[in-house]
Amino acid sequence: MTTAKTYAAEHAEQFRAELHALLKIPSISTDPHYAPEVKRAAEWLVDHFQKLGLEAELITLEGQYPLVYAEYMGAGEDAKTVLVYGHYDVQPATMEDGWDTAPFEPVEIDGKIYARGATDDKGQFFTHVKAVEALLKSDEPLPVNVKFIIEGEEESGSRAIKQFVEEQGEKLAADVCVVSDTSMAKIEQPVIINGLRGGALFEMIVRGPSQDLHSGMYGGTVHNPLQALAEIITQLHNPDGSIAVPGFYDDVVELSKEDREAMAKIPWDNIDWAEETGAPLAWGEAEYSLRERVGARPTLEITGMAGGYFGDGFKNIVPAQAIAKISCRLVANQEPEKIASALLAHIQNIAPPTIQADLRFVSGAPAVLVNTDSLYMQAAINAYTDGWGAAPVFIREGGSIPIVAGFQSKLGLPVILMGFGLNTDGLHGPNEHFSIEMFHKGIDTAIHFLQEVAAVPASADATEGEE
Amino acid sequence: MMTTAHKYAAEQSARFQEQFCDLIRIPSISTDPAFAEKVKQAADWIVADMEKIGLSAEQITMPEGRHPLVLGQWNGAGDDAPTVLIYCHYDVQPAVVADGWDTEPFEPTIKDGKIYARGATDSKVHVVSWLKAVESLLATEGSPVNIKLLFEGEEESGGDTIKAFVAQQPERITADTVVISDGVIRDIDQPSITYGLRGIVTMEVHVQGPQSDLHSGHFGGVVHNPVQAITEIIAQLHDENGAVAVPGFYDNVAILDDEERALLAESNMLMEEEWRKVANPPAKWGEHGYNMHERIGARPTLEINGLYGGYTGEGFKTVLPASAHAKISCRLVANQDPARIAQLVQDHIQILAPQSVTVSFSNVDVNAAAVVLDREKSAIKAAASAYEKGWGKKPLFERAGGSVPITYDMLKISDNLTIMGFSYKGGTAHGPNENIPISSFQNGINTAIHFLQDVNNT
Repeated sequence: MTTAKTYAAEHAEQFRAELHALLKIPSISTDPHYAPEVKRAAEWLVDHFQKLGLEAELITLEGQYPLVYAEYMGAGEDAKTVLVYGHYDVQPATMEDGWDTAPFEPVEIDGKIYARGATDDKGQFFTHVKAVEALLKSDEPLPVNVKFIIEGEEESGSRAIKQFVEEQGEKLAADVCVVSDTSMAKIEQPVIINGLRGGALFEMIVRGPSQDLHSGMYGGTVHNPLQALAEIITQLHNPDGSIAVPGFYDDVVELSKEDREAMAKIPWDNIDWAEETGAPLAWGEAEYSLRERVGARPTLEITGMAGGYFGDGFKNIVPAQAIAKISCRLVANQEPEKIASALLAHIQNIAPPTIQADLRFVSGAPAVLVNTDSLYMQAAINAYTDGWGAAPVFIREGGSIPIVAGFQSKLGLPVILMGFGLNTDGLHGPNEHFSIEMFHKGIDTAIHFLQEVAAVPASADATEGEE
Repeated sequence: MMTTAHKYAAEQSARFQEQFCDLIRIPSISTDPAFAEKVKQAADWIVADMEKIGLSAEQITMPEGRHPLVLGQWNGAGDDAPTVLIYCHYDVQPAVVADGWDTEPFEPTIKDGKIYARGATDSKVHVVSWLKAVESLLATEGSPVNIKLLFEGEEESGGDTIKAFVAQQPERITADTVVISDGVIRDIDQPSITYGLRGIVTMEVHVQGPQSDLHSGHFGGVVHNPVQAITEIIAQLHDENGAVAVPGFYDNVAILDDEERALLAESNMLMEEEWRKVANPPAKWGEHGYNMHERIGARPTLEINGLYGGYTGEGFKTVLPASAHAKISCRLVANQDPARIAQLVQDHIQILAPQSVTVSFSNVDVNAAAVVLDREKSAIKAAASAYEKGWGKKPLFERAGGSVPITYDMLKISDNLTIMGFSYKGGTAHGPNENIPISSFQNGINTAIHFLQDVNNT
């Protein structure tokens, strides 16, 4: 008899070759120039699901990137149903960002697959696709129904899936939702994320003179928009590293003693921090540990800023305008809209009369806290123990997955954040990669998870999905 | 006053304008190495025209690999006649339609009596005006002075070649009188002579945080964002009165006396009017206690010319960027020493830099000090008379905000030096939709002819 894990081991090369094919498609959702590539990735997935024998389709909402939906309902009406969420879109990447290899030409070096999207999130959600394939093709049964919902806008606001969950959520009815889009510090110590930060994205434009001016002829008589932008950005933080926007922290749930003790169990010391970042000195809110700052505290980051001339050489101008892109990470119970109002009010308040400052709220998602006491969570713990080889610990993470809050609140689903990545995978940065060993361990863990879910008693469902 | 040379210029005006447009079409952008061949092409064009009108011409490239200097000479006035050296530059700033141009920047377009193109006002109008003034004289009555035309190809990018040439072979350009022909006059119909120029210091500042871009979720809040750090530094470079907050920055600044403040006040209103037309920001800004003319011409500044870090393409890339960068320039007045100012600024930035980032500098350029010229010497007096006859109005005397790095070097050739600009501020030098009125080009030729005819008699 061939077990699912044996099948997966025997088809390891094939699985990776398929992942490479998906990674080659530059499905960058943040840049409209790549729209055809985003659609191509969606079509590739539908085709792939159909080849595995699943019912699959593209769900396209007006003006948005398609959702890929696939289902296997062969376990029968009485069986449990697992919803697998992932995203096939990726962040931008070019060689100039500092990549050693072409970001959309996956290569395997020293046990790692290098490519944009390798860990975020193509490599991670693909483990579940391959777990389903292994169970279907082996002599073991696939004991649960499985629905896949793979979106193409996770990196750009998740509008389509939010609308779909709101309007047609019943199509995603399930007993539990599993998401593999998070990471751990060390391969020996798997992690289940029990808190995700939310987010809010903004674009700011500072306008000064009506056109670029010669800095000799006019320098000293107009408030340079670059200087004004710098003055505004500076006033978004206090000298102690906290955010200076009035009302920003109003709704933040203070950490309990238990929370702080739990987070202290997985310390993040300055030595590890220095190795991971390469920065000269740690920074941030002094009264919180490094782990707390990224997991449990909100942040405001300037993710991009530009104005004036920055090509080769010099252009002696006072530019007409300057822009900044701002990303806030939010924690429970901050509301993105409220944060947007607070930031707008603050910027209007501090902007000097010599320039015009405009802020655009691009998108937002609230933070998520996950219940760790459920039977489905126990299924995930068992799956890591058997499939990965070690029991997981719980950690709150700094990143955001916008739709997770929607799965909880709109669909009432318990969500398991079963990440298979490493914190050092370089997601969003250059040389993103995914450990080959972790890809295969992930598949094994996903197989165990589907089997463990089948064993959860039916009576469990009445009490699940509640925070 | 119509001399034979002026008649010739009037008859040839259509061809002169065609030639002007021909030179403009060559995108001689010296700040971007990708355009090096175009700069050379412009130099070749000038050499060919010089030879055609009767000058001996050559290109000088030193050090190797830089943009050529063009030197044209005419010694027909004889050994006893004085020599006038005229300096202009034929290189231009970068320009693409995306910067906000209404027309192709390197395809001259005529609208409302103005020629729109990059380089029209800064500074090919000067190059061609002098070439055509010399042609008009040599083709008719001859010139009473010997002429050297020295045209630079890298004024917009540091000017290493001309500096090296002046330092190493000054005997090849000895002259009794020097004209630096660049820059603007007060208005299209109101000539002015700039007797003060600000100097300039430029540098690039680099703020490095983490070794590479990081996920802003995983590391936001524990790493000092270099973009934030650079803004914190920049925000501290000025005080609340608009003054530069670098200690020692104003130490050697020459104080204006009451007589000069009165002279500058004469054109302050005109300057403010033009400022409202061209700059028009939501509100005035600047160093408290000084009027606009003084802020532009007599007070030093520190400007951020470029600032960038992280992802600024369409959409978002939620990274904590590894680094952030700024291009900074200081405009200097007499008697600030550029090297000292560059050092003060760098030292202060290092003091302001938090320990959570590292700061470095590159491309620090300290070659241009400020200049104030003697208004009583013959060069400026002849220029005033030439404007009055050629442009039709007495010139105002001004201190300008811009820097012409070469002035400092040209003063080594002769301190009987004048600056003669033919363009105007509405010409938006360095910005989009740069332009020059056709009348300014014609007035420029006529004024240049008068200057050469009369400089020896002033």
